[in-house]
Amino acid sequence: MRCRDGALDAVINPYLLYVGLALGGLGVCMALPRRRVSPQALGAVLAGLGLGLALLGLGLKSERLPNYNFYIFSAIALGAALRVITHPRPVYAALYFILTILASCGLYLVLAAEFMAFALVIIYAGAILITYLFVIMLATQAPSEGELEALAEYDAEARSPVAATVASFVLLAALTTMLFGGAGDLRPRDGAGLDAPIEMMPQRAERSLREEGLIAAGDEVVGVDAAAWTATLRSGAEVRLPDSARLTNVERIGHDLLAEHPGSIEIAGVILLMAMLGATVLSRRQVELEDEAKRRQAERLAAAGTVFADREVSP
Amino acid sequence: MSGSWTIAQASLPAPMDGVTLAHYLLVSAAMFTIGLVGFLTRRNLIIMFLCTELMFQAAGIALIAFSRFHLHMTGQTFVIFVLTVAAAEAALALALVVLLYRRKDSLSAEAWAEMKG
Repeated sequence: MRCRDGALDAVINPYLLYVGLALGGLGVCMALPRRRVSPQALGAVLAGLGLGLALLGLGLKSERLPNYNFYIFSAIALGAALRVITHPRPVYAALYFILTILASCGLYLVLAAEFMAFALVIIYAGAILITYLFVIMLATQAPSEGELEALAEYDAEARSPVAATVASFVLLAALTTMLFGGAGDLRPRDGAGLDAPIEMMPQRAERSLREEGLIAAGDEVVGVDAAAWTATLRSGAEVRLPDSARLTNVERIGHDLLAEHPGSIEIAGVILLMAMLGATVLSRRQVELEDEAKRRQAERLAAAGTVFADREVSP
Repeated sequence: MSGSWTIAQASLPAPMDGVTLAHYLLVSAAMFTIGLVGFLTRRNLIIMFLCTELMFQAAGIALIAFSRFHLHMTGQTFVIFVLTVAAAEAALALALVVLLYRRKDSLSAEAWAEMKG
């Protein structure tokens, strides 16, 4: 697909896009945590309006009614993502991140990538985020008396929110301008190319034929032609393949992974092994505390002890 | 197609009309930007790493959308590698964060300001 001048106009009205992005930037900036009263709800509404305007601009240019699933999932994903960066408490931010992951899985399903959708739930929501939650709980100070609701100073206030938001949304405007220049309609799903790997899997075709009862007991498949969608048998006959011989998403990913990227799998394995070793080495190291830090920790433990002692006396 | 009801093959792609690649790229770019804003503005080390995961996630959506657009599997395969890198990063980064927290008793990124070059 070639990127040509004025292609942005064909996808979306540029003014609508930029107004939407500006609104979104303003909203995100207002929603970031601040020490004083922060207009978080108003900021979220503004950010939502901005995104809505941009999506509306996209929808106006396509003549058919859009897919409502896409809008539901993307609204949940982006809303939860906004909450991840604006919620002052890390535990809630991590939980909202899980919501973002689940909504992205919905988007993956709409895009017919079911294997990756479920892998994402298992690996991201199941493993990585649990690790995050563990670390958040390990590395959060026990609240001492009188400040049960108090936030750590570094959580309560964002660092230079205006500059960061402006820079990021200018980047977003440039990105979308470039991206939409070459974007087109999604193609219909039944592309013949997706089933091409079955030519290398005669046994897979044979299994489907046997399930449908289209092949004699002693016969076997010797060749498959994916373009014509037929199989050649040892007896010399040509049979048309049944629909159940169409490859599933998992089979296609498996074939692509092992046939096209075998080296990348090895590298991924090495990366994971190194990460495991690194994490083990890092967490085994003894931390030498300075005297000052030791004193602070002792004070904190003592303070926590008095809190609990008070509770026992006066329930 | 047999009468069995499967999400991916029968139900969801049918109302696909009207959603273009641009829609997914907009969502992906917006999520990336939200992650970027979070990384620049938040001062809690753990939240900063969560924001990088948010950016990984945005890249994943773009990869899957391109895979669907080109009807080519490599986009989906690459998301597996994105997941690998995200897992490795989470393991190492969180081990580091725990170490840093034990040393300074604070998760603030500014507690380590002396490491500026």
